[in-house]
Amino acid sequence: MDPWVAELRRGRTDAAWDLFLDQYRRLIFKAIRHYAQDYDDVMDVFAHVCESLRDAELKRLRCYFDRPSHSARLSTWLVTVVRHLTVDWFRHRDGRRRLSTVAAELPPLRRRIFEFLFINKRSHVEAYELLKSSAGLDLTFGQFLAEVSATYRAVASGRRGRILRELGGPAPQVEDVEDEQVGASERRDELEEALSCLSAEERVAVELFVVEEMPADAVAKVVGWPNAKAVYNHVYRALAVMRARLSTLDGVGRPTLGRI
Amino acid sequence: MSDFDRLDRLRGYFHTRETPIARPDCLDEHTVAALADGTLDAAARGRALAHVATCALCRRAVASVAEALAAGPITHEIEIVEGRRRRRGPVLRVAVPLAAAATVLLLLWSPAKDPFGRHRGPPPPPPATIPIPRSPVGAVAAVNDLRWSHVTGADRYRVTVFDATGGVVFATEATDTVALFPDSIALVPGASYLWKVDARTSFDRWAASELAAFSIAGSRRR
Repeated sequence: MDPWVAELRRGRTDAAWDLFLDQYRRLIFKAIRHYAQDYDDVMDVFAHVCESLRDAELKRLRCYFDRPSHSARLSTWLVTVVRHLTVDWFRHRDGRRRLSTVAAELPPLRRRIFEFLFINKRSHVEAYELLKSSAGLDLTFGQFLAEVSATYRAVASGRRGRILRELGGPAPQVEDVEDEQVGASERRDELEEALSCLSAEERVAVELFVVEEMPADAVAKVVGWPNAKAVYNHVYRALAVMRARLSTLDGVGRPTLGRI
Repeated sequence: MSDFDRLDRLRGYFHTRETPIARPDCLDEHTVAALADGTLDAAARGRALAHVATCALCRRAVASVAEALAAGPITHEIEIVEGRRRRRGPVLRVAVPLAAAATVLLLLWSPAKDPFGRHRGPPPPPPATIPIPRSPVGAVAAVNDLRWSHVTGADRYRVTVFDATGGVVFATEATDTVALFPDSIALVPGASYLWKVDARTSFDRWAASELAAFSIAGSRRR
């Protein structure tokens, strides 16, 4: 048993905390630095993480040890906690005022898009509808997505790219012009319908591999498949199933999602 | 349309979905960590995946933690922390009986009784799927370049050098298995550094080497 856990069990929380911090300080810093690069941000987030872990006599750490079983190692659990606390800290701190300074350097349309997506937490579809209705913008959905992509590229190229990606969600890809004819909501519904053909494992694998762009071996670890090859096989088989399903949904042969 | 184009199109469609909102049944930190690390048992993993399949927020969390756990500085630190913990654990209680059993097996096994007469040459080399850092490794007098092994099918390599705190000292990309280390970066004599190389094996897919450690012996470079 680690000395700090022994102290925790004895109810000596101060001593337990000192020993815990001595052992895990570097890991906490490295996890924070994975998301934040600015020195002051890193130090502020570190203080926030310490405060949160120390809260209520190390309640969070005690909860970890009070679980009947531990499927996660303490170190990986700690990285997860630090990730959540870091994202929360930036989300709380980077309210309208600070994020607006990032937006100030963007052209007017992209600034509006940035405000809708990063500050007001709107979805892409909502942002598109709001731009059309409030600003009277004559923009097709494809053109809008191109602007959204450019906005993401602009903000992600800076020092705070990784944390901004966490706050704003994944960036969209630009689609073919012909797809602009299809409503975004309709497209989303079709995709959900096609995804419903897949098992939970296949669906998660497709989403992690395609949307989150995780390496195949990391996807295999998450879904419990033996190796990266199994992921390639499953994902491409799943995409074929989805393609067949979408072709059925398209019915009259409309060239939309059936071509994936 | 290539497979990559199709994947890009599909990615675009996914991204038109609504902004995710936390739900009461969202995964806790313990489950996210275990799922990302692949340590969840089959039954619990099945339940967790059923939720992740319909929750973009948890999917993002799992992907983000998996990415963090695969990052060199974090992986390195976890190895240090876990190694330290394991050393304190009852390793000897397991290792000693295992070593004894291995010794008995070696004593019982006689090469003369091998009925198949198999070839006993060295095993074939494993396929080169990950790059191996060749130099600098260990204590070196100076670092003028970084060299690593070739990976079959790789068309690009990404090299990153870290200092002892995990900060990136130098990063570059190369198409060959060598990268020049610039004079403008001063390496501190006696300080420890880590470096790794990623090989691009297909579109947007990289195979990472193990971290290699080196330090500069003596005075300044060159």
